[in-house]
Amino acid sequence: MNKLSRRGFLQVSGLAGLGLAAGCSSGPPSGTATWAMWSSSAAEKKVWEDFGKYVEHQLGVKSVATLTPSSGYPTKLDLQLVSGTASLVTALNGTLIPTYAARGAHRPLDDLIEADPDFELDDFYDTSRKISSFNGKTYAIGFDVAPTVMYYNKDLLNKQGIPLPSRTEPMSWATFRDLTKQLTKSGEQYGFTCAPAIDDLVSWIYCAGGNVMSADASRSALGDPEAMEALQFVIDLFVKDKVTPPIKNLVTESSLSNFMQGNVAFMQNGPWQVVNARKAKFDWDIIPFPAGANGSTPRVSGSSFAIPSGVREGAELDLAWKLLKTLTSTGALDIYAKAGRNNPARLSAGSAFQPPPDNLGIVQDILAGKAAGGHAFDVTTNWNQVKQLLGQDLPRTFLGQVTVPDAITGLTPRLDVLMRQHLDTVRQATARKG
Amino acid sequence: MAISTADTAPVTATPTPARQAPTPRWRSREALTAWLFILPSLIGFLIFTAGPVVAAGVISLLNWNLFSAPTWAGLHNFARLGPDPTFWSALGSTAYFTLVSVPLTILVSLLLALLLNQGLQRIAVFRSLLLLPYATITVAVAFVWIWLYIPHDGLVNAVLGWFGINGPAWLISDTWAMPALILMSVWKSFGFGMVVFLAGLQAIPQQLYEAGRVDGTSPWKSLRHITLPMLSPALFFVVVTSVIGSFQVFDQALIMTNGGPGTRTTTLVMYIYRTGFENYDQGYAAAQSLVLFAFIVIITAGQFLFQQRLVHYDN
Repeated sequence: MNKLSRRGFLQVSGLAGLGLAAGCSSGPPSGTATWAMWSSSAAEKKVWEDFGKYVEHQLGVKSVATLTPSSGYPTKLDLQLVSGTASLVTALNGTLIPTYAARGAHRPLDDLIEADPDFELDDFYDTSRKISSFNGKTYAIGFDVAPTVMYYNKDLLNKQGIPLPSRTEPMSWATFRDLTKQLTKSGEQYGFTCAPAIDDLVSWIYCAGGNVMSADASRSALGDPEAMEALQFVIDLFVKDKVTPPIKNLVTESSLSNFMQGNVAFMQNGPWQVVNARKAKFDWDIIPFPAGANGSTPRVSGSSFAIPSGVREGAELDLAWKLLKTLTSTGALDIYAKAGRNNPARLSAGSAFQPPPDNLGIVQDILAGKAAGGHAFDVTTNWNQVKQLLGQDLPRTFLGQVTVPDAITGLTPRLDVLMRQHLDTVRQATARKG
Repeated sequence: MAISTADTAPVTATPTPARQAPTPRWRSREALTAWLFILPSLIGFLIFTAGPVVAAGVISLLNWNLFSAPTWAGLHNFARLGPDPTFWSALGSTAYFTLVSVPLTILVSLLLALLLNQGLQRIAVFRSLLLLPYATITVAVAFVWIWLYIPHDGLVNAVLGWFGINGPAWLISDTWAMPALILMSVWKSFGFGMVVFLAGLQAIPQQLYEAGRVDGTSPWKSLRHITLPMLSPALFFVVVTSVIGSFQVFDQALIMTNGGPGTRTTTLVMYIYRTGFENYDQGYAAAQSLVLFAFIVIITAGQFLFQQRLVHYDN
């Protein structure tokens, strides 16, 4: 066997190092359709792989998707945007679109939409378009959008001899509360479950006619009578009526896992959980969200695709726009909806989101204004901070550790500061023409 | 000017030894070899430690949201620390964690090391088993402890129930969330100290104990006057590394309580992470990290000063 001299070893190591460095630093070749998306399960990954094949078939170029688990997606996206290594198109959760848009991380799409006669923005639900806009400009194109609905355990209601609720007419809050109390047997069976977080509370706040922030977003509106009524109603379900499963841990509390136990009658959640609820070993369905003083107007949320500001004008931007159109086309959203992931943002792809559950059509009826109603999720350009602040103090009201008035009194001054910072950011973005 | 060499002694006759300037120590072959050996580590230190510290210093003087061009902020980010209640609460939580977890971890590590040093059979098996928590990923351990702490069905409360104690809702309790994190952290990290102490114990010359026995020393006195002084370098090392590690506590708090309830378990590193990467306020996050850095440097320097009186080295 030949002996490797020390010099030879060093030379080979050096070459190997260079090779590795070259291999690591080279991204996909120019002309590749790169896009970024979150993916937390094998089933989800399969959908995005099918998207990739569809893109390659439609555009005739190689598709490279960067898939990241949803919890780490924003951090990875931030680092890619800052380092200039972001994909041509990136998926964004609707709540973060103003955050990215206001900071100039993504570009407005209005010029591209205007210059493209083939692109029909009207085929997207109004709420999806609203969620994808900031400061009067379109920053993203939606791929899913849906209102929060109420899931219910049909078997449980039948067993208790309670008539099934209307498939189209939302019940009143009072009726809902009575039902949940009727269906609760302490330690054994519960009437209702939802997440102890602002994301679920806002639906009740909107239904009561309130909001997290005032209309001009200059101050917190959580202390207004409408919002207070909604907060007190939900907290009473947890603390006073005790119709919810006991909270074991604020971090891992999951309304879906509570519902899937089979001993919870109603669960507040979105149609994006239909794909998971299909694994339930009992019969279930969905109905519109209970109506408060303002009717049934729960949170409507969605996700979209956007183009980072770092994408260069010319061939790169052309490819990015074509890719974004393909990823949000009826064909692609059909794949998404057929897999049961969520309701597609395009009206023309709606028929692909099929039962079970039997009443799944109510989702599109709500979005189209034919039944009940919905309220686009109003967020600020510093929504992470607002959510973080609310996440510190509000969950304690669910535990009965703090009363709703005390929590809101403590939160309001800090929320007001965040609202003023939000308005400053909007002003800066406007000055930048962003 | 010509110089006559007639009456001068031939150069070759009795040469006067020329005084050569000594090679500086840093240029000697030995020193160069040493530098070559430490170069990889030095490069790593400069790139991954010193570089980021300097960068944090620069960023702390800027307003920077990651995406737009940074603007000059001067000392404004440091001035923001004063009236920020979350910063002080996070600092308080971190101090609480450190003050309780470090002594507890050292105590448990020391007791187990003393136990393992009693010439037990199959000591390697016990040592490996006790080292397992330290070798396990914190994320995995944190998830297991979440289950242990479940109020009604969790193992911790079940065990307390055997003694008639109604255990609290650990991770959602204002009072018990931090002690719960501390308990888990002590369990997770005692293995490191135990191994260091065990190595220290095995290096203590046996003749010291034999001399003690001849003088009729009790086991307690032997521990106090022989074991602990001889173990003081190891003890000092474990204290310093544990304090630094405790000030940087992050993952277990993020996974088990996400900083709650309220801000009861929000640690300084968690707050820095949120400020920088969730709120996109890089300048303020850098200012906070420099303050944390300063705290750690001051406390470590204090420990080094203090150790001169208490730590006994062989020489």
